[in-house]
Amino acid sequence: MGTASSNVSRKPVIVGIGRTDYSRDSGRTPLALAAEAARAALSDAGVPASDLDGGATFQIADSASPMQVAHAVGSSGLRWNIDLMGGGNYATSVVANSALAVQAGACDVAVAYRSLNGRSGRRFGRADGALRVGGERQFSAPHGYLTPPQWMAMWTREHQRVYGTTCEDLGRIAITQREHAGPNEHAVKRDRITMDDYMDGRFINEPLRIYDCALEVDGAVAVVVTTMERARDLRRKPIHILGHAEFTGEGGSWDQWPDLTSMYSHRAGPELWARAGVSPKDVDVACMYDCFTYTVLVTMEEFGLCERGGVGAFFAEGRATYGGDVVVNPHGGLLSEGYIHGLNHTYEAVLQLRGEAEERQVSTARLALVTAGAGPYGGGMLLAEDA
Amino acid sequence: MDVSVPPQPHPDLDSASFWTATAEGRLELCRCTACERWHQPPLERCRECDAATSFIPISGTGTLRSFIVVRHPAVPGYLEELPYVVGLVDLDEQEGLRLPGRLLDVDLEKLSGGERVSAEIVPLPGGDFHVAAFRILPA
Repeated sequence: MGTASSNVSRKPVIVGIGRTDYSRDSGRTPLALAAEAARAALSDAGVPASDLDGGATFQIADSASPMQVAHAVGSSGLRWNIDLMGGGNYATSVVANSALAVQAGACDVAVAYRSLNGRSGRRFGRADGALRVGGERQFSAPHGYLTPPQWMAMWTREHQRVYGTTCEDLGRIAITQREHAGPNEHAVKRDRITMDDYMDGRFINEPLRIYDCALEVDGAVAVVVTTMERARDLRRKPIHILGHAEFTGEGGSWDQWPDLTSMYSHRAGPELWARAGVSPKDVDVACMYDCFTYTVLVTMEEFGLCERGGVGAFFAEGRATYGGDVVVNPHGGLLSEGYIHGLNHTYEAVLQLRGEAEERQVSTARLALVTAGAGPYGGGMLLAEDA
Repeated sequence: MDVSVPPQPHPDLDSASFWTATAEGRLELCRCTACERWHQPPLERCRECDAATSFIPISGTGTLRSFIVVRHPAVPGYLEELPYVVGLVDLDEQEGLRLPGRLLDVDLEKLSGGERVSAEIVPLPGGDFHVAAFRILPA
C-alpha cells in the first residue's frame, strides 16, 4: 500500500466495521461471534456477503477459520485468505495484509476479523497430567514463568530501574483509559478508578497489578477492506491506510531480547513515519495496544508520541486525553473496553475518523495511529480520513 | 490438567542435550564448535557461521537483570511457595546471553536487581527433569 501504486483505482480502503457485544461469557461459539461481526461489517459497508472473496484472521487455536466464517455468512468462497498463528501482534497485520491483497488483485472484498471467547473459553489444554511445554518456553515454563503478564512484569521492572518509572506512572494510564471508557456503552468496565484504587489493586506479578492487565472478554470484531473504486459507490466514508510497519525479532525470544526497556516499536515506529510521510505530532487519536499499561508506556515513547521516560508526566499533565496532544485509547482500550486481541482498536480508529464516536468523539480526528503487539513483535498502522 | 506440578519441558532434538546435562547435575548451553558463540535457545547450527554446535558446561554465574514476584497462581506448580520469585539472569559467558530461573531463598525486602547470582541444579517437581535455579551470591 502507499503512494507508489500505479493503479489508483485498486487503492485499498476500509469501508465497513462490525462487532458483537463484549461479555464475560458469550455462551456462543467463536464461529457464531465471527459471523455476526462479519455480517455487521459487510452490512455497515453495504456490500452483499456474496461479494466477499477474501479473509484474514489470527488466532491461537481458539477461533474459526476464514473458510468457516465466509461460509457462515453466505460467501461462495474465498480467492484469498490467511489464518495467522499468533497473538495481538497480528492485529494490524490482518488489516494491512487484507489491503495488500486487495491492492494486488488477489481479492476484491476482504474481511479481517478476530473472534474469541477470551474470558469463558479454556486457556490451557485439557490433557491429563502435567502441562508439557516445548519450543523456547521449555526453558522458562518449568520455573513457573510462562504467561504474558509475567514476561511484561519482568520488562517493566527493568524500565523502572533504568528510567525511574513508577507504579503511579502506570496507574495514570489505567485511570485515564478507564475515564475514557465511561461514556462507551460497549466497554465492559466503565466505573472510574482512582490512584488509591489502582495502588490497592492486587499484584498479579509484581510490579504489575490487576489494573495493569487487559480485560479478557468474549466477542468479535470485523473490518471490511475493498478498493477505492468500489468504495465510491458505497454508503460509508472510506478510511485510508496511510502506512503500516511491523517488526519481529532481535534475540529470537522474549528472554533474549537485548534491551528490556525497548520493544518492537523501536524499529517499527521510525519505519512507519518514514513510510507514511507524516509525523507523530500529526496524530489526533492513538489506539495504543494495551495488553498491559506498560505496553502503552514503551510504545508511546518509541512511536514518538512523547519522550523516553516521559510517559508518566505526559499522562499526569493531561496530554493524553481530550484537550491534550493526542487522545490515547478514547474507547478505554483493551484495559477497559475489552480484549478482542487488539482488533477493537482498529474499530475505534475508524469510528473516530468517520466522526461516529458520539460522546467520546475526538473533534479533531483526522489521523489515527493503531498499534498492535508487545515485546519483541508488533506493528503500527496509520489510518486517515483523507488519502 | 494436574495443577500441582510445574510445567514439564518437552525436549526436542536441539534441546535434548540441555536436559540430559541437567539430569546429570551439569548446566550446559549450546555453543558453536567453530566461532564459540553461545546460543540460547539452542540451534542445530550456528546463526553466525553455520558450523555445528555442541553443548558445553557453563559457570552458572551471572548478574540478575530483572525479576518478578509471582503472587497470582497463573501457572501450575509452586502453589505452596507463592509468592515465588523468577529472575532473568545475564550469564557471564557472553553479553546478552540469558537464562530465566527461580530465585531460591530470597529476601524480598533486600532484592533490587543487579545482584550476582549462581546457578544450582535442582529437581523439577513432578517428573524426571532437573532445572537450573539461582541463588544470590554473598555481596
